[in-house]
Amino acid sequence: MKMKQMNNEIKRRLPLQCPACDAPLRVGRMFCEQCDTEVCGTFELPVLAKLTDKEQQFVIDFIKSSGSLKDMAKSMGVSYPTVRNILDDLIDKLNKIE
Amino acid sequence: MNRQYFYGLINPFERIAGLEALLWGLAGMVVSTALSYYSGWHYHRLLHFGPAPNPAWWCYAVEHLVVWLIPAALFYLGGLLLSRSRIRMVDVLGTVVFAQLPLIVMNLLNLLPPMQKLAQIDVNMPPATLLQQPGFVVGVWLSLVALVFLIWTLVWMFQALKVSCNLKGYRLGILYCVGIFGGDVLCRYLIKGLCYSM
Repeated sequence: MKMKQMNNEIKRRLPLQCPACDAPLRVGRMFCEQCDTEVCGTFELPVLAKLTDKEQQFVIDFIKSSGSLKDMAKSMGVSYPTVRNILDDLIDKLNKIE
Repeated sequence: MNRQYFYGLINPFERIAGLEALLWGLAGMVVSTALSYYSGWHYHRLLHFGPAPNPAWWCYAVEHLVVWLIPAALFYLGGLLLSRSRIRMVDVLGTVVFAQLPLIVMNLLNLLPPMQKLAQIDVNMPPATLLQQPGFVVGVWLSLVALVFLIWTLVWMFQALKVSCNLKGYRLGILYCVGIFGGDVLCRYLIKGLCYSM
């Protein structure tokens, strides 16, 4: 019972790489939770979905703060250049992914 | 918590930069200049300190300004060339002057009597005679303690460059060496020209 509860609490992350050969994974199947309709095919993952959880949260916070690095720095409790560096590194990563 | 605190001692610029760092750094520079004036220890270069013949207060102020502005200017110009980020001058100036705060402790140590005596000792005498000079050994030990704070400043200057210019790898290493060692040589000529040629 306790084990089952623990399993429910585990946050499952979207795997981005093949565990066997490390190649990037694509979407093959999707289904509707409401009516069980399944869609099969090969779909590319959206670029933002290829970022880590932390990076995705940064993008969300950035949009929520209307793109203000100063507000971001204040809410994250870090200095302005630190936030700018995180953003610039993220831009570099997105350019590489694209 | 402790780990975060320790990281803050190694790299404070993740939390403080820009105008805030500049104001703290300038306040520290005023204290440091006053301590240098009372102890009589001059900044000969960025990495060289000791007694010098010009006792005027403005000479100490010029030395402190040169030791701050020269490496900051080199970091900024290098950052404009090597960094892909849009760097701000206030971040470079602020972090570099903040990085020199540990030098206050070094200047405080220079006020102590053994350091004052060490400054008056003629280092050209034979080693055996040198060791018998009163306060020499204590002075050497205090110099070693002061060296720790100089190294701390150098670590913070590295972090200042890394954070304010967003550099990594070999670009960071090259620009740091140019800023510190090139800055050391430039500071020497500029301090000599401004304080001892007029």
